[in-house]
Amino acid sequence: MKDAFLQEALTIATNKFIGLRREAFDDFPEGEKLRDRAREIKEATLQHLDRYLDELIDNVERLGGTVHFAATAEEARAIVLDIAQRTGARMAVKSKSMATEEIHLNEALERAGVTPVETDLGEYIIQLAHERPSHIIAPAIHKTKAQVADLFAKELGRQVVADPEVLTKIARAELRDKFLQADLGITGANFAVADTGTVVLVTNEGNGRMVTSLPRVHVAVMGVEKVVPSMTDLMVFLAILAKSATGQKLSVYTTLVRGPRRAGELEGPDEFHLVLLDNGRIGQLAGPLREALYCLRCGACLNVCPVYRQIGGHAYGYTYPGPIGILLTAMAHGPGSVKDLAHASSLCGACVDACPVRIDIPRMLIELRREVDEQKIAPWAERVAFKALAAVMTRPRLYRWSAAVARLLQRPFARDGAIRSLPLAPGNWTRTRDLPAVAPRTFQERWKELERES
Amino acid sequence: MTTRAEFLGRIRAEMAKTPGLFPASVTPRPAEPHAVAETIRRELAERWPEILERFRKEFERVGGVFHRAPSLADVPQVVAAISREREARRLVAWDPRELGADLGPALAARGLEPHAMPAGAVADAAERARLRRLVAEAELGLTGVDLAIAETGTLVIRSGAGRPRSTSLLPPYHVAVFDRTVLVESLSQAGVFLEAWHAGGEPADRGAIVSFITGPSRTADIELTLTRGVHGPKEVHAIFVEKTIRG
Repeated sequence: MKDAFLQEALTIATNKFIGLRREAFDDFPEGEKLRDRAREIKEATLQHLDRYLDELIDNVERLGGTVHFAATAEEARAIVLDIAQRTGARMAVKSKSMATEEIHLNEALERAGVTPVETDLGEYIIQLAHERPSHIIAPAIHKTKAQVADLFAKELGRQVVADPEVLTKIARAELRDKFLQADLGITGANFAVADTGTVVLVTNEGNGRMVTSLPRVHVAVMGVEKVVPSMTDLMVFLAILAKSATGQKLSVYTTLVRGPRRAGELEGPDEFHLVLLDNGRIGQLAGPLREALYCLRCGACLNVCPVYRQIGGHAYGYTYPGPIGILLTAMAHGPGSVKDLAHASSLCGACVDACPVRIDIPRMLIELRREVDEQKIAPWAERVAFKALAAVMTRPRLYRWSAAVARLLQRPFARDGAIRSLPLAPGNWTRTRDLPAVAPRTFQERWKELERES
Repeated sequence: MTTRAEFLGRIRAEMAKTPGLFPASVTPRPAEPHAVAETIRRELAERWPEILERFRKEFERVGGVFHRAPSLADVPQVVAAISREREARRLVAWDPRELGADLGPALAARGLEPHAMPAGAVADAAERARLRRLVAEAELGLTGVDLAIAETGTLVIRSGAGRPRSTSLLPPYHVAVFDRTVLVESLSQAGVFLEAWHAGGEPADRGAIVSFITGPSRTADIELTLTRGVHGPKEVHAIFVEKTIRG
């Protein structure tokens, strides 16, 4: 929040995305019906998830691909590392994938001596800066062109002009070489079609096509919830995904990949691997966060969220930012990981309106808050304090009495209507913030006075 | 390592705990996709000019460049004009059988340096490396089109024997040739064709990739400034051929 540029960049970017999304749906009268359809497909798929995954696995294997099963992030990393080592890969080119961010794959690859290269321009920039994405679809939204030019200059050891056109051209040349050299291509999956064994990648830059066609091995890492039954269902999602994300009718490239290179093909990988990732998803099939499994990762809820728009993606502290990010973080790391984040929402509901599949994010945030409370994740003192507050607030006489006592007790600390520091344990709370002082008269007292006067 | 049985077993165990949030069904699929696809084709055959016009509008809206030629034999002239303006010379193309004709001699006669891609796989690694260099250094890539979607201005292209993936990807200028037989109105109609392509057995000559291409490669990752040609082509040209390519 300190960073004025971040604040301005966020406002400009999120407003732009909101406008583009609105225009796209205004032009598309059938959009609302398709959103309902898409939501229903997601629910129907989850109700028979075992069957659709079974079908997907059979089809991928029939096409000559290999399917792997990862219960945890650690297991997923081990699977990819094993493939990299077995195939003697030295460099891996990656197209943008939140699933591989979620499992922290890059660090693991580096430790194993495989150089991971992010090829989405935004991801490439933040990889050079050793940062994490700040927005699901615009990962480097927080960087100025001057900062990007500095990063490129450092990487290339020469002067670079701070012009997006020039910078993009440089990235094209740098990454083109890497595409042609890399042994391993790593992607996520926007969807996987059970009926045909197809993994679907959506990109604007074309890196998804490069990564799936040039290296000799392709590994796709996907959350189990990404499976859709048929091509007919896939079309419903394609019709709303890009409109929700960037306001495009369709992203530039939608790439449908079915296994490794086929007989007769000049290009394409010898090996195709699909890693099915659980990492907390399966446990939510009957859990309070089930509906978050509908998420398409379009980023629309980030753009409209008043909290995200203020604080940006990094402040959330985990892979997935924004309102949906809180739920996905809880899914992967348990409710304890979001004991504070669960409150980083005003529950205004803007996210529900923006979500292409109408995920009821506020409902689940409230659910999470309750769970955090029930599991006694908050410190003992905090829980007692809130219990006491609840008791006081629901008893008018006790409330009036407490206000009077508090007014007395705060005298040594209150100045100009605020308490700037407190002694002992509560002092931690006031180290970076002020506590408003108890007013000289409570609302009830003032109300009574007013009634007497009139 | 988790096995398939363990993994799916865990999913079944969780599924058993809930009926789901609400009753829901997947989208009904065409029972006979080939027949439905044929019906769509027949229906569109009568009003293709209107669909083509919508395609042109959407294709240009996403940054594509639209051209018309009377027949496939006139395509080299259009390609030569495109390449002249951009000082491009080296061209890689699909195998003539996939393109519908051998345009090589006519392109060469107009000062281009055309290279046709092989009709099938290449066993020799050195030859494969040479072909890859050729494509990587080419300025123009000439391909056919399997579907042109009017609603979104999208070209759908299937990889396969004689139609390598990189022809429409590595060169900075992609030129695609199509006719009225590949026009469809909407994404949902395209879905019928995708169902048909995958129904009943695997066609031996088709590859592992279906690419939907909606305009030139683009990014807005630096300060939301729209920039073209980041990894894929910076220009996409679609040449509509009035006389159908396959007679």
